[in-house]
Amino acid sequence: MNQRNNLVIGIIIALVVAASYNVDANPIDFFEGLPNLAIVAEEMTQVDAELFGTAFLSMFETIQMAFIGTIVGVAISLPLSMFAARNLNSKFVYAPVRAILAAVRTFPSILWAILFVIMVGLGPFAGVLAIIMYTVGFVAKLQYETIETIDADPMDAVSSIGVSKWQLIRYVVIPESAPHLLSQMLYMFDYNVRQTSILGLVGAGGIGFYIINYIKFFEYGKAAVFMIVVLVTVLIIDWISLKIRDKYIVKSQHGMEVTAK
Amino acid sequence: MKQLQMTSPSSFSQITTQKIIQMNDVWTSYDSKSYALKGINISIDRGTNYAIVGQSGSGKSTLLKLMNGMMTPSKGTIKVDYQTPNVNNKKFKLMMHKIGYIPQSLGLIKNLTVLENTLIGSLPRLGKFQSMFKIFPEEEIQEAKKILSQVGLGGKEERKAYMLSGGEKRRVAIARAFMQKPTILLADEIVSELDHHTAREIMNLIADAQKRLNLTAIMVHHDMQLALEYANRVAVIKEGEKILEIGVEGDKIVDFQTGDFTTQEIMEMYSDESKK
Repeated sequence: MNQRNNLVIGIIIALVVAASYNVDANPIDFFEGLPNLAIVAEEMTQVDAELFGTAFLSMFETIQMAFIGTIVGVAISLPLSMFAARNLNSKFVYAPVRAILAAVRTFPSILWAILFVIMVGLGPFAGVLAIIMYTVGFVAKLQYETIETIDADPMDAVSSIGVSKWQLIRYVVIPESAPHLLSQMLYMFDYNVRQTSILGLVGAGGIGFYIINYIKFFEYGKAAVFMIVVLVTVLIIDWISLKIRDKYIVKSQHGMEVTAK
Repeated sequence: MKQLQMTSPSSFSQITTQKIIQMNDVWTSYDSKSYALKGINISIDRGTNYAIVGQSGSGKSTLLKLMNGMMTPSKGTIKVDYQTPNVNNKKFKLMMHKIGYIPQSLGLIKNLTVLENTLIGSLPRLGKFQSMFKIFPEEEIQEAKKILSQVGLGGKEERKAYMLSGGEKRRVAIARAFMQKPTILLADEIVSELDHHTAREIMNLIADAQKRLNLTAIMVHHDMQLALEYANRVAVIKEGEKILEIGVEGDKIVDFQTGDFTTQEIMEMYSDESKK
């Protein structure tokens, strides 16, 4: 038993070493490169405080993009997830819907952004569209997986009354999966803010546009301003979503100990 | 002789119309190797309070699911009000709202309120548009509130289901079933986890409604004592077979259909359960 474990660990280590060789991943380069990082870090400390105004404005734009993308994306993914759930549909319905969703998910958001920049031109709208696509691909998957794990008993109990499928969705599936959907929305918004921050790299609007341009011109001090703003924003959003989660989700999941006021 | 000829056809037809549920040599299997039910014959008169008693895994929950079409037998025939229970049977689908079903886990929607959970029982009567937007007619809401106060939940209509105690949850599930205006009520071990006192409160609730509405109640029990107390007919299921069926009148056992046991023996067989 132990010997077999050792063999498996040995094989994994060997594979990592072999793969590292193939991709030129050399730890020596990493340590030799550390001084370069120190130079960048030092320049970054020379923060250009005058840019904070611009940084906040572009962060605000980024948040708005992520907000639209998340809400519209979730709105589109909700009906799709109903069609993709195996416990609600026949194979002929869920299989094609799942295939489409899988195809949508194959593209990272930055590729969607490039595609939409070509389609609608440079600017935030392309970014919003990219975020929508990415959100649809992911939330629909998370949501149909949630629907499939809904307790079979309420489904059985209510469908045995002889209700229609739409009534079953409206009165069992949606209420039972709603806390998960809220949690997924928060997660997705959080994630989309971070994502949108880099969509500027391909000209799809948002704060990333500034970061990439300042880095291109070696103005690390200016780029640092924008990175600080992203960091602070993400921390704040994290904190807010934690509060929402505590208030609405944890309670209904482990509702047994909660007594009415 | 003449008199007998006169009476027998009419009494015969009376007997057949009385039978609301008939199961004939019913076999079910979860896989090809083993059977959950082995050749069950059951016939239940309209208005009976019928109890099915057996230990865990004896196949008694399966019996209920066969009666409301949630499962289909691998062999044998079932008729519920002359229809074969199957969700794909259009005629049966139209009468499904007449069968109230309370699974062991109750099947409440935990994020909906007590009132909403109860109103679910009226969904088969509600139009497409109204049900999409949760627009329930005022008389249905009043009916739901009336039923809720009957089951002892008056004033708790707006509570979310997950906030309720075990006994209260059972009352909501019963209210939902009553809201269907059922002729048959199927209940799967809904009082097993309750204390003695609460269990009897719930059972009385069902017994009252059963007499008032001429319901046919089919209740699965773990506890023989409880079955003998409330049912007029008790079937005992063991390892997928019906080993005994008895009629009960007050505290007297009036007839045996299968098996050869005395009252004493029946209680002794289930003494482990009753002590609990």
